[in-house]
Amino acid sequence: MLLSPEVLAILLLDIIFVVFSLVAFILSVKIFLQWDIKATTKLQYTLEKQSFLTATIIKYIFALKLPLFLFFIFTLDKISGVLTGAMCAAGVVNATNYGVYLFILKILNIYVFGFWLVLHYLDIKKETLPYTKIKFGFFSVIFFLFIAEIIVEFLMFNSLNPNKMVSCCGTLYSSASSSSYISSIFEINRSVLLILFYGSFVGMIFSYLFSHKYIFSFLNLFFIIISIISLIIFFGTYIYELPTHHCPFCFLQKDYYYIGYLLYILLFLGTFYGLLVGFISDNKQRDKKYILSLIFNAAYIIVVSSYVVIYYMKNGVLL
Amino acid sequence: MIRLENIIKKYTINKNNTVTALNNINLEFKEGQLVVLKGSSGSGKSTILSLIAALSKPTSGQVIVDNKQISKLPDNFAALYRRDNIGFIFQKYNLIPTLSVQENILLPLVPSNLDEKEVEEKLNLVMDKFQILHKKDAIVRNLSGGEQQRVAIARAHVNNPKIIIADEPTANLDEKLSRDFIQILKELKETNKTIIVATHDPLFFNLDFVDQTVCIDRGNLQ
Amino acid sequence: MLKNKINLYLITYAINSILRQKGKNSFIIVIFTLLTFLLSSIFFITGSIKYELDTTVDSLPQIIVQKIKAGKAYDIDIDAVDNILEISGVSDAMARVWGYYYFVNGGVNFTVVGLDQYENQYKKTFNSIIKKYDLTSLEQNSSMIVGTGVKDVMTKSYYDKYFNFIKPNGSFKRLYIGGVFHSDTELESNDMIILSKDDARDLFGIDENMATDIVVKVANPKEIPTIVQKIKLLYPDTRIITNEDLKVSYANIFDYKSGVFLAIFIVALFTFFMVIYDKSSGLSAQEKKEIGILKAIGWTIDDVLKEKFYESFIISVLAYLFGIILAFIFVYIFQAPLLENIFIGYSKLKTTFELPFVFDFQTLFLVFFLSVPIYIAATIIPAWRIATLEADEVIR
Repeated sequence: MLLSPEVLAILLLDIIFVVFSLVAFILSVKIFLQWDIKATTKLQYTLEKQSFLTATIIKYIFALKLPLFLFFIFTLDKISGVLTGAMCAAGVVNATNYGVYLFILKILNIYVFGFWLVLHYLDIKKETLPYTKIKFGFFSVIFFLFIAEIIVEFLMFNSLNPNKMVSCCGTLYSSASSSSYISSIFEINRSVLLILFYGSFVGMIFSYLFSHKYIFSFLNLFFIIISIISLIIFFGTYIYELPTHHCPFCFLQKDYYYIGYLLYILLFLGTFYGLLVGFISDNKQRDKKYILSLIFNAAYIIVVSSYVVIYYMKNGVLL
Repeated sequence: MIRLENIIKKYTINKNNTVTALNNINLEFKEGQLVVLKGSSGSGKSTILSLIAALSKPTSGQVIVDNKQISKLPDNFAALYRRDNIGFIFQKYNLIPTLSVQENILLPLVPSNLDEKEVEEKLNLVMDKFQILHKKDAIVRNLSGGEQQRVAIARAHVNNPKIIIADEPTANLDEKLSRDFIQILKELKETNKTIIVATHDPLFFNLDFVDQTVCIDRGNLQ
Repeated sequence: MLKNKINLYLITYAINSILRQKGKNSFIIVIFTLLTFLLSSIFFITGSIKYELDTTVDSLPQIIVQKIKAGKAYDIDIDAVDNILEISGVSDAMARVWGYYYFVNGGVNFTVVGLDQYENQYKKTFNSIIKKYDLTSLEQNSSMIVGTGVKDVMTKSYYDKYFNFIKPNGSFKRLYIGGVFHSDTELESNDMIILSKDDARDLFGIDENMATDIVVKVANPKEIPTIVQKIKLLYPDTRIITNEDLKVSYANIFDYKSGVFLAIFIVALFTFFMVIYDKSSGLSAQEKKEIGILKAIGWTIDDVLKEKFYESFIISVLAYLFGIILAFIFVYIFQAPLLENIFIGYSKLKTTFELPFVFDFQTLFLVFFLSVPIYIAATIIPAWRIATLEADEVIR
């Protein structure tokens, strides 16, 4: 077990999260089952009060999740100094079986908590509190995802062993990788990949113009996946100016001006709003989300493509 | 404008003990009326005020203000309704003694987060109207009884509400201040606000500008 | 959600509210500041010591080869130097003659290092010493060079111009103090004595063709592990210590030590959590009335919650900032009396060194996460209880 102060801090906050989210869960189930806005019983009034507590707890957790995620990445970077072979966070993530699942869970939970908050704010805008039941039912499900994340986090930190040799991103993110799923993405034809990437954005524009909200959301979901794959295989190499450097973590470091954070934030915001579009029925609200999604996604595409363009202009050839 | 329909309000003290504060009350107040709710303490008049202000919910029945049912509004909306429509004058003023006059009057506006200019306008308007503009930075606990009364009234007015509710407003005042208060009420009535006063102060009982007097005894209308 | 501008009125109200309960809030801020102060001080000290050691360790040899007999270090044969030099990748290898000399009267250990005038030294300090003092003439004059700390100890025992060492065979060896030197890192210079290799051998009773250990320099640091393996193959009865080993073991000691303190701190924090919870839950009638009034004049439950959050946030962030600033002053200006010793280990000669100023964002975030969110968590339920009070019962 790697007992550095940073890890202890993360685990301590995890314990607090477990306790509070459990309270929120119990209340959510109660509210989901017994909520009746039309009732004038004492039970209903108590539920109304408790809905505030639950919402506050969820807001607290979400507000901390974001900076904690950054801190988590910093911590992984720091740990990479102690694990032999790891030179950036990528090495630490892949040092255990849990690393990749933890990452996926964390990112998934950020999306999911974000959705909950949007639903919450839409709910309290209307006097009939129309989405309350759904909202709390939704949280009852989210709770399990959240607990899963915390359990996996404990397991991961627990199984980190400074004496075990670890692969660095150079070997992990290459076609010769030991992990089958990573090496398989390298099999994809580069041009196909780029067509899918830019194509999905064009698709988004069209589905916006023709108001196909479900297609728009679906394209955003697809865009998350295709962006990450294209980032690893293609665009990343232009950030590093090295055709073999495919690591999705190294450009979070100072050497690359922390550009990774900007890229991931833009991608998150664009796809977050894009996914929301499919769920919002109010037209005015939805239009706002369409535009925001398109703007952030476009920003991401521009930043990522500019590395390629700049490289070409400097060197006259592509990698 | 304000209607109470078949209102029953019960309080549960413990498992075996419920108190019926209001027993099937039906009332109607028109816009611009000055209404006096007459009754001794515990008669239920304060409960009626709470219901009109959406501060409490009836056990059964409805409260309708301006054709809108307010008795079952969820808490946040009830508070918004109060903010925009009700001016509350409490028995003991209920000002925050360590804050200034201006800061006290500002309180109802705080959550709305309005523009600084707009806030200043509203404050000055209302402080001027009730003649405490010259003391706007004075700390409330250093003011005289009469001045504090005017601050309380000013606070109730800062959002320009349609309905003014006063709960035993003269209970802690001497006769002079009570008469001053009644004079202010008279002026307010001329601005077409609906004013509801719950009191057992006899000074209110034979005023010529009172439109309706309602007598309540132990939860029932007389 | 993101588009509402920050409600300054609400923040002002929150500040006023905090000031209205000066007693209770001062108590909380003081305790909280104390906790963050302790925590930050510990992290600053360990951070500085780590940095200091890292720089020291970097100036140490990359590979040290010691002969082991029955688990203990033994003198090693000088021939090994030539054999090691033949390994490809090795840029230099050198036999060292050095040891500890315990001075009974002063109650301290001197580090005695033998240097050869014509050898390339593995440490910068030594190189500059060789330039300044000619070791061959030192030997001719039976002299030595001592560090500042050593000079002080010797002077205290009235050894002003020379010192009498006791050799293993019981006879005396007198050496004159030929000069005093300072080193870059004080951890070193304080207890060091430099003399010629032959004098050192004589002092410790080491044979002419033996040495204490062998230091090896490698051209490409990444090849160190490979070369270590090759040396091990040549000389299986040796223990080989590398630069990296030292760094990692120091890092582990410090993390362990600070981990222990952290564990204790966490206990303190939970106690604090309970205190906060308890204090926030107990509401005076005055407080209840105030909230009742606010709700009556149109504040929603969310507004009250927001205001309570601002209060908690302001208090905890203030305490956090005070704690950090006080820790900075305590550690870097006053050089952390008392606490420093816990980490360095109490030793007479080693206490006079200055903690270098190390600024690390990660530490600031770490202390933040260990303090502010915990305080706010403790106030969630009490704040909710206050915000959901029935207003009409309270304003009668």
